[in-house]
This record gives sequence, structure tokens and C-alpha cells, in this order.
Amino acid sequence: MTSQDTALELTQPSRLQRQYYAVIAGRIGLALLLLAAWKTGADRAGPVYVADPFQVIERIFVDTQSGVLLRHIYVTLRLSAMGFAIGCFFGVALPFLLRRMPRLTNAVEPYIMASVGVPKYALVPLFILWFGIDDAPKLWLVGLLVFYPIFIAVFAGIRNVDRRLINMARIVGASETKISREVIWNSLLPFFFAALKIALPRAVSAAIIGEFLVGNEGLGYMIEYSRQNFDTTGVFAGIVVATALVLVINAMLVEVDRRFNAWRPTERHMEL
Amino acid sequence: MAGQPLLEIHDLSKRFAQRAGREPPPWVIQDLSFTVGEGEFLTIIGPSGSGKTTLLNMIAQIDSASGGSVRFQSQIAPIADPKALNPGLSCQIGYVTQEDNLLPWRTTLRNVLFPLEVQGRLNDETRAHAQMLIRAVGLAGFEDHYPHELSGGMRKRASLIRTLVYDPPVILMDEPFGALDAQTRAQLQEDLLRLWDLGRKTIVFVTHDIAEAIALGDRTLVLTRAPARIAGEHKITIPRPRDIRGIMTHSEFGPLYQRIRAELQ
Amino acid sequence: MATLEGSPDSNGAIRGGRAGALMRERGDQLLVLVVLIAIWQALSMIYGVYWIGSPWGVLVRFSEGVLKGELLRHTSYTLWEAVAGFIIGAVPAAALPFLLRRRPIITAILDPFMVGGYGAPKLALAPLFVLWFGIGIESKVALVAITVFFIVYFSALAGIRSLDAKLVQMAQVMGANERDVARHIVFPGAVPYIFTGLRIAMPYSIGGAVIAELISANRGLGYLIQLGAMNFDTTGVFVALVAVTCIVIVGNWSVNVVERRLLRWRPPADLKLETGA
Repeated sequence: MTSQDTALELTQPSRLQRQYYAVIAGRIGLALLLLAAWKTGADRAGPVYVADPFQVIERIFVDTQSGVLLRHIYVTLRLSAMGFAIGCFFGVALPFLLRRMPRLTNAVEPYIMASVGVPKYALVPLFILWFGIDDAPKLWLVGLLVFYPIFIAVFAGIRNVDRRLINMARIVGASETKISREVIWNSLLPFFFAALKIALPRAVSAAIIGEFLVGNEGLGYMIEYSRQNFDTTGVFAGIVVATALVLVINAMLVEVDRRFNAWRPTERHMEL
Repeated sequence: MAGQPLLEIHDLSKRFAQRAGREPPPWVIQDLSFTVGEGEFLTIIGPSGSGKTTLLNMIAQIDSASGGSVRFQSQIAPIADPKALNPGLSCQIGYVTQEDNLLPWRTTLRNVLFPLEVQGRLNDETRAHAQMLIRAVGLAGFEDHYPHELSGGMRKRASLIRTLVYDPPVILMDEPFGALDAQTRAQLQEDLLRLWDLGRKTIVFVTHDIAEAIALGDRTLVLTRAPARIAGEHKITIPRPRDIRGIMTHSEFGPLYQRIRAELQ
Repeated sequence: MATLEGSPDSNGAIRGGRAGALMRERGDQLLVLVVLIAIWQALSMIYGVYWIGSPWGVLVRFSEGVLKGELLRHTSYTLWEAVAGFIIGAVPAAALPFLLRRRPIITAILDPFMVGGYGAPKLALAPLFVLWFGIGIESKVALVAITVFFIVYFSALAGIRSLDAKLVQMAQVMGANERDVARHIVFPGAVPYIFTGLRIAMPYSIGGAVIAELISANRGLGYLIQLGAMNFDTTGVFVALVAVTCIVIVGNWSVNVVERRLLRWRPPADLKLETGA
């Protein structure tokens, strides 16, 4: 999702400059417009349906000061991180294991790919039944949602490694371990990062949804609890914080990717 | 010039594996025999599709042979069994391929150091040697560039010295300058001869360009179309150091060129 | 020939025994299926059908549900929500980049908002939609639509950006007006990209509907799952899960079929590459 700025035609420097300012002004204007629409909507629809934006900001401020909000954020992030670690570990380890067993890979591949189609969120009630109402069902949810994109990317990445680079490394005397670490790992790193960009924000969303469905702490719980108590300001505050959290993580990932993969000539387009 | 045969190719043959229910596939290479002396610069010339790359792949031990043998320093290389292949014969045979095969995530310097690193020979001395080679081919100042930031000629240079840096006794080269423009190509040929003059490695250089084969080699083998056999062998006695750009004017060049071209027909 | 890889022996061997290898692969896959079902059966026997419904029990209940129409009824609710939301979200998302094609400044202004909307956890809006639209079908449709919208918008945008300026010039030289260009050059070029977006969005639409139903509903497959879980009826949960998975698979399949019909002009290698990725 690159910026459109590059598409602006470069005719004259002054014109380009004008267009640049027009875009900035437009963005600020649109942001203000959205805020105004929100405010008007709140005034028209009433506080039960749409919370007043300023009250939402105030609520976020108050809850941050009292520490309640930070506690919820911490719980959600911890859950996301643990689930992410689990899903990521299996998502990376399994393709490397399967690499050594081509026959088994061919045999299980269609089933793994079919299981991608199972909506993981729908499994939560089952997980609650099996694993109780603590963190376990949510960890399963987050872990599974992280596992799939990473597994698919690493699996495809290993398949797409340039055979010629492996041969080259063998000729100059690299061991199999060294080839795995150097050639294969680096070749699939862009795939891995593309998957990470999907999986990491998804881990946080999954944790929040998981908290909707079970638990008594975390951002998702905060939103759902507020909804059940007709505290619309609380629902809005929770959603705003959750969205900001995910967007910040996204932005951080983009930055890390840019630094880590400086050797890449262009962004690779990947579908997962 | 040629001393003891360092590399002996005897009756080497290659055909694609048999397919069920079809007639036997054609031979790519059939009963090919030649030797390469220590310190010799051998060029091999053949029409495209004559199995030149397959030949080098077999010598480099990344492809198995259907018959025949490869001996290096009188030792037989395990070439028949695909599973027993020893790519690069324990770092004794270097291979500069047609594509540069640089690792895209490593800078120029780190690409050049890669063989030393995996062989556990990275120290101040080898590092200095690598730096010397980088300067010698004019890559100084580009050590920290990634391959995609280099021109085709520069990438070629980097891939060349990546093989030179670990000093294998034999170096195979598969049309390394094939995809370059004429100017860059001549420059790289000069660079190669200069570097070769420093160490006098044994080189097997495959090309489809007659002029290149004459300009670089001590001896040249002419291959037929598939199945590849030897159509002719010529000693090239043009004295060294040679002037690559002016080689066409040498009295030996013209007749040799005509003879090789006739053999290639 | 010009590569380090070309190992004729191994290539030939694979091709040579292709029929045999394929048979063996199919056999292996069948074996894995049998093993998976056996494990499922064993687990349900060890823990009891109370915790894990047995494969046979699920099959029986599934066919019962289909025959009595109960399962079909809930499936049709979910499907209806997903399809309605899919259309409401996808159509404007695909159209917007076309309308804004000649207005790069507006596209640029929208960009950060779209990126934000794309990245934002839309499912977290589910409680809000329930609040606004009630526990009926509308809240699910809204959730699906907003989820689908951003995915398809960015694929359509990518399609517009991939446009070959030379083709446009060629058409203009031949006398095409703006409308002709849009219809004959821009649109066909963007279609593959839009389909990529639709293919990605498809499971999200069904997932979104099911999740909204899980949170609050009185019908649909998500409701069935929630109901089964509350009554400790794992067989019922499994049946609903199987139904959901079936919808996703059928949905994937139909997107692929439509795509293949619409994109007959593309070289087959291209298609293969994409589905392989």
C-alpha cells in the first residue's frame, strides 16, 4: 500500500509542490470532516448509539490515568504475543521439517490446504468447551490464526528457493546446515515478512475477538462489557484504542521490513 | 606449457533418463575424452545446445554422468551415482556459472567472502586478499552495494573473484561473459587474463564465441552438435601477454578462426 | 541448458515415472485421510462423544440436518449475510479506483484513510454493529461489507496502477475516447487484480458473518455453533463447522470458476503461477 504521491505527474516543480500541499490539505480536511460527521452523528443519534468523540477522548484519557486501560492493553498484548510465538514457531518449524520428507509432504499437503478454509474463529466455542475459560482457548485461536499465513509463506518460500544458489553454495564448500541458514532462510525472509505483516496485526485482532467471546480482562472484554452495559462511550473508546494499537504495530512492521530487507530491489507482491 | 594432466576426462557420456514406454533418449554427450594440464588455460567451443553446460556440471560434480570417468589428480571422482556427488570436489574445482548467482541479500564484499566464510578460512590474510581482488577488478567503492545495485559487468566481476578468492586448483567457466555488451566483455577478458597471469590457475573456459576462445586459451577444443564429440583441437601459440582488443590483427588469428568455423559447421 | 540446475537425470526420472508417482501420491493421500479419521474416531472413543463427536455421529447428524432442512435453513441465513455483505462491500470497492482514476489527488488524499481502514481490526466493530443494527441480519451484512470493502479496494487500485500507459496511448492514437479506454483497456487489465481481491475476501466474508453470529444472533451457522457449545453438544458444533467449511470451499471454487471464464485470454502459465502462490 504505497502512497499515491508517486503517481502525481511530474510536470513542473511548482505544480508538483502545489499538488503536494493540496494533498496534505485534503487529508487534514477529510480528517476534520470525518470528525465533524462523527460529532454530528453523535448529536443526532444520541449517546446510546454514537458516543461523542470528545467524551471518547476524555474516557481514554481518564482510563489511561487510572491505569485500567493500560492493564487491558497489557493483557491483550501479552495474549497476542504468546499466541503469536506459538503459531510462529510451528509455522516456521513445520515447513523445515517437511522439507526433509517430500513423500509425507505430498500426502498431507491437500489436507493442510483444506484446513485453511475452516474459519478459525468459529472454533472458539469448541476450544472453550475443551480447554476451559482461561487463556488456553484464546491462545489456540491466536496461535492458529498466526500459524496459517506463516506456514503457507515459509512452505512456498522453501519451494521457491533458487536451486542455482544452493548449487553454488555447495560448490564453494558450504555445509547443509550453512545452506539452510544462509541460502534458504534468506531466500524466504521476504515471504516470511509478507506473512508477518498479515500475522502480527491478526494476532492482536484475534486476541481481541477471543476476549469478546471469553474472559474477564483485555480490550475485547472491555468493548463487549461496555456494550452489554449500554456504555457506548466505552465501546467507542475500546475500538479506537484497539484500532490504534493494530495500526501502530502495522507501521512498526513496515519500518522493520524496510530495514531488514534492504537488499531487495522492489517490494514483492504476495498473496496469502 | 601443459605439465602433468591435472584433470582427465575419459569417455564421458550423458543422456537423459529413460522414459517409460518411449525409445531411448538421445545422447547429450558421448564418449568425450580430454585432459587438462596443470596451469593450462583450455577453452572449449561449441554451438549452443551442444551440452557444454552439462559437461561442466558433470565435472563440477553437480550433475551425474551416464558413463565414463572424471579424474582429478589421478583420483576418480564419484560421478555415476547422483547421491554420491561431491559438488566442487571438496573446494578443488571452482565454477563460474553463466548467471552470476550472487546472493542477493549480501553486499559485494560479503558475497566475495562467502566461500572463505563457509570454509572457515576467514582471517586477516584472506580478507586482505579479497580486498586486493576487489581492487584489481575495479570494484573498489562498491563493497557495500547489493547485487541489484550493480551493473551486469560488475556482478560478473564479483562472481569471478568470488571463485578466485578461495584459490581452487581448477576453475570452470561457463560462458561467463556471454550476456555482456562487447565493450564490457573485452574489459572483463583483459581482467581475467591479468588475474590468470598472477596465479596461472588451471582454467576450463566454455564459450560459443570463436574469437573469445582464441583470445583467451592456450588450447581450444571444438565440440560438435549433440551428441557432443570433439571435432578439433588447436594449440594457440599467440604469445602472452596478449592484446585482447588487437588480437584479430595477429597473423595466427585469421587462419585459426577459419579452421574452427569450418569445424563448427 | 544455461543453468546450474538442469539435471537431466532427475528431471527425466520424475517425468518417466509420472503416472506411477501420481498413483503413489494419491494412495498416500488416501492413507492420510484414513489415518486422520481413525485418530478422530479414537479420540472420540477415548474422551467420549460428549467432548468430541464421533465421525459417524457427525455424518448422521449432518445428513439429518440436511434432510430435515434445519441445517439448510441456518446455512442459508449465513450464506445470505455473506453474499449480501460481499456485494455491498465489493462493488463500490471495485468501482471507486475506476472513478478516481483521473483524479490522482483525491486518491492520494484518501490513501492514509484507506490504509488505516485496511489495517484496522474490523471484527472489533461487531459489537458496535450489533448495537446499531440489532441482532438481525443487518449487523452481519454491515460487518461483512466493511471487511470486504478494503480488501477489494486495494486490489482494484493495484489493477489500475498496473495499467500499461503504452496500451492507453496506442488506443488513443487509434481514436479511442476516454470511455473506450476505460472499457477496453483499463477494465480488462484490472479484472485479474480484482479477482485476486475477491478470492482473498471470500473466506473473510463467510468468517465475518459467522463471527458476528457467534457474538450475538438467533439464527445462522455461528448461532448453531454457539448453541451446540452451550448445550455441550459437540456433535452439533462439528456439524455446523463442517457446513461452514463446505461453504468456504464452494465459495472458493465458484470464484475460481467465474475467474477462469472471465480470464480466458490470459496465458495459462500465469493462472497456474497465481494459484500456486
